[in-house]
Amino acid sequence: MEELYGKIAHCVEFGKINLASPYPPDMKGQEGADELTKKAIDEGFPPEEVLKKGLVVGMEKIGVKFRENKVFVPQVLMSAKAMSTAMEHLRPFFESGAVKRKGIFVIGTVAGDLHDIGKNLVSMMVKGSGFEVVDLGTDVNGQQFIEAIKQHPGCYVGLSALLTTTMVNMEKIVAEIKAAVPDTKILIGGAPVSEEFKEKIHADFYSRDPQGAVDFLNRSVA
Amino acid sequence: MELQEYNYRFDELEVSTDIIEKFMGYQPGQAPEPMPQLIREVLNQAHDLCDIRGGYVIKQDIAVNRDDKTLHIHGVEFDVKKIITNQLKKMDATALFVCTAGPGISNYSKELMHEGDFIKGYIADVVGSEIVESAMDKIQADLENQMESQGLHITDRYSPGYCGWSVGEQQKLFSFFPQDFCGITLTASSLMQPIKSVSGVIGIGENVRRKGYVCNLCDMVNCIYREKKETKKADRC
Repeated sequence: MEELYGKIAHCVEFGKINLASPYPPDMKGQEGADELTKKAIDEGFPPEEVLKKGLVVGMEKIGVKFRENKVFVPQVLMSAKAMSTAMEHLRPFFESGAVKRKGIFVIGTVAGDLHDIGKNLVSMMVKGSGFEVVDLGTDVNGQQFIEAIKQHPGCYVGLSALLTTTMVNMEKIVAEIKAAVPDTKILIGGAPVSEEFKEKIHADFYSRDPQGAVDFLNRSVA
Repeated sequence: MELQEYNYRFDELEVSTDIIEKFMGYQPGQAPEPMPQLIREVLNQAHDLCDIRGGYVIKQDIAVNRDDKTLHIHGVEFDVKKIITNQLKKMDATALFVCTAGPGISNYSKELMHEGDFIKGYIADVVGSEIVESAMDKIQADLENQMESQGLHITDRYSPGYCGWSVGEQQKLFSFFPQDFCGITLTASSLMQPIKSVSGVIGIGENVRRKGYVCNLCDMVNCIYREKKETKKADRC
């Protein structure tokens, strides 16, 4: 059982999607996250364990490598693709409630900013760690965030920005959210953002990499 | 000076697999499979997707106010903040510029992302960024040649959205160009469409120089240009 979980984690970490996928080259012709996850489910492995001991472990490993600059964005995207393909086999268990999501994470790039690569990366990593992600897209204003928060009570919120000048909008949106739904935990990230800025605008968490956001969310729901 | 306009074909630009790998963080030639293959596919597509256009207009009636950190161009005030004011303080004239890769490459990237092909979508996004930067490099080089022939020099280029210069000021910057110049329009929040577009100012004068970007003065520690610069520096070491 543990061996199969280890193989699933390995496939996610190295972006081995399925048997047909020729990448990575040293895993060509081998089963990928897709087939191995299906095999685990078919053999009656607990879906929650498949998620936690297999898929999530693989995503965490690639997240740490990304933080340490050992891999770059495309490799994280490969892992996310392997993860999302495998997650399809777990979808019925999420829908039936047999496997519970850790929580809901609402994310968007703040008003005035159309950049979405960083936001997508965080979205995939958070999804890969077992949260449901509600992606509001780019150029999202405070009211749109508040509506989503009201639709998903108790959700966590992620704000992304690439431009120095959209930091101003981030500050405004945090204030609006905190005024409307005071207990909302807000994570911020993006090129111009820093720990100091997080303090200044009264957000709850800042991370310079996606894995930091995942770690914070995991700690928050533990 | 009259408005200068440029059009480029994709193959006139220096956008190669090596450059895209480098932009993505890899040493050239070191990106693992399937990245090189995917980059080649996107570059082949890019030939047909680009509508690369740009231009600039030079204004002589300028003033740099170091007290309130503003730039005055032909009666229009730009609140460019401290870093840009310092970099442009010795200029005698300025070139306001815009440049775009066109909507095709951005739309292609979005379509790929929408279809769930995030890796190729990301690569197309990077290629779009590199196309517009490379095109603007050529425009800037042409401007520099023209100015050098008159005994003048130019600065690096500075854009709204960076170094504290509000992206909202793009509305004022675009007032110096004909409507829809190069097919670029601004959204209500002052962002350029197509997304892969750049705009900004370049200083011109006898006593200005291109110094390279002053990342040590900027607190944007995760800026993509800083990372690019540091990668290049590391490559030279």
